[in-house]
This record gives sequence, structure tokens and C-alpha cells, in this order.
Amino acid sequence: MYSLYARVNNGFAFMSSCLMAMLAAIALSSFLFTADPKGQLTIFNFKVYASADAKADSRFQEIGLARFNLTADLTPLFHWNTKQLFIYVTAEYNNSDGTHNEVTMWDRIVRRKEDALIDVVAPPKYPLRDMRYSFKKSSPVQFALKYNLMPYVGALTYGEAARTEPQPFPPKVGKL
Amino acid sequence: MTDLFSQVFYKNIDFEGQRVTEKATHYALVIISIFSFLAGFALQSLQATFALFGGLVLVLSLVIIPPWPAYNAHPVEWLPSKGTKKSE
Repeated sequence: MYSLYARVNNGFAFMSSCLMAMLAAIALSSFLFTADPKGQLTIFNFKVYASADAKADSRFQEIGLARFNLTADLTPLFHWNTKQLFIYVTAEYNNSDGTHNEVTMWDRIVRRKEDALIDVVAPPKYPLRDMRYSFKKSSPVQFALKYNLMPYVGALTYGEAARTEPQPFPPKVGKL
Repeated sequence: MTDLFSQVFYKNIDFEGQRVTEKATHYALVIISIFSFLAGFALQSLQATFALFGGLVLVLSLVIIPPWPAYNAHPVEWLPSKGTKKSE
């Protein structure tokens, strides 16, 4: 500490250590916030279409589309360490192989607390398509609203805010 | 080395001043970190935490880093010189 340079060097190094400790404390403080908000998800107009996409073996891929009505108050999730929320509506089912599938139909990024009051009537952004090309022998499907809380510092956390009753896949109609 | 920058940059401080500045940076930085964390947590604002931290560190550096005359108030007292034993 005998010269100005020595004081700057020592002070900056110790300040870096203090900053690291503070960031660790901020990351740990996320665990104090245990909000578990719930919402309401209703599906209507769930249809399965045959798509006109030609595949290598020229079978028709079946496409599932479901409009939905979504209301949720996710504002309790916004605390000081919340950078943004990634919310998404998924369709979960077991296909004819027995494999459990979780397909995202719709998603949104919520960056501010004011935008966390969700009230949406929307068509799906992304269709339901199965590796087995058809939904004929699949289990009934449950739709769920899930969220992913992304902090400024720390671990990503996931949660579920709504889930519907299982409903079977409707028979295929027409072409899309 | 006559301009103000060189005079300030290269000036040393005495041992008592070094001891004081070292203790002061350690205690002050710990207190600043704890205080800005708690204040930001109470206000639920990460911006408040880092603004407070940055501002207080700036104030601290104005106190610690320049070689103020107060840090030179205890100069080393050298013993009186004895005559050299080398033959001239």
C-alpha cells in the first residue's frame, strides 16, 4: 500500500472478491421466494388434420391444432432476481410406441411484472406432430401451462401453473 | 517529475498511513457489500444494489487512493547517522 498503484491494485482485488460474494448471496436469495401461482387453461377446437406434406414414404403426417383460452396471474414470480419468464403451453401424451411426448404449442417471453397478467385467447403457434405420423393409437392428451423463471444470477427454476383434464385425440379431418 | 499527476502518482505514504488505508479498505468494502445487498433486497431492486455499491466504492476510493497528507503524518524516524568507518 506504499504507492497509489499498490492501493488501487489491492483495493480492486478485494472489491472483486466482495462482488463475487454479493452475487452468490443474490443467487441464494432466489430460494426465499416460493411463489406458486396458478392459472386457468381451457382448450377448445382441438382438431387433427392430415397434412399435405409429402414424406419419404409418402404417408400423410397428422397435425394436431388446439385453440385455447388462458388466464393466469404470474406477477408473484417477479422478484428482484427475476430477469424474465418464459411461459409455454404444452400437450403431453403417450404415442402409439408408448413414448411420453411433451410438445410445446405456444410460448411467450414475459420481461416485466406488468406483462405477467396473462389473458390470452389464441391459436397455437406450433403444431402437434408425432414421429409415428399418426395420433390414432395415442393416449389421451393433457394440456399444461408451464413457466421457466430466468434469474439475473443463479439457477433456472421451472413450474407449472395450469393443467387440463385428459382428452382423447379427435379423429382426423380433412387436409391442411 | 514536476507535473501534478507524477507528483501524486509516485508519492509514497508512511507505514502508519499504509496500515490505516489497508484496514480501511477491508472493513469498508465488507460493510459496503452487506449494506448494498440489504438495501437492494429491501427495495427489491438489483439496480439499487449495484448503484449503491458503485457509488460507495467511488467515495471510498477518493478517501483511500490519493496520497493525502494525513497519511504522511508519521514519517519514519531514522536514527542519526554515525560516521563511516571506511577510510577515505
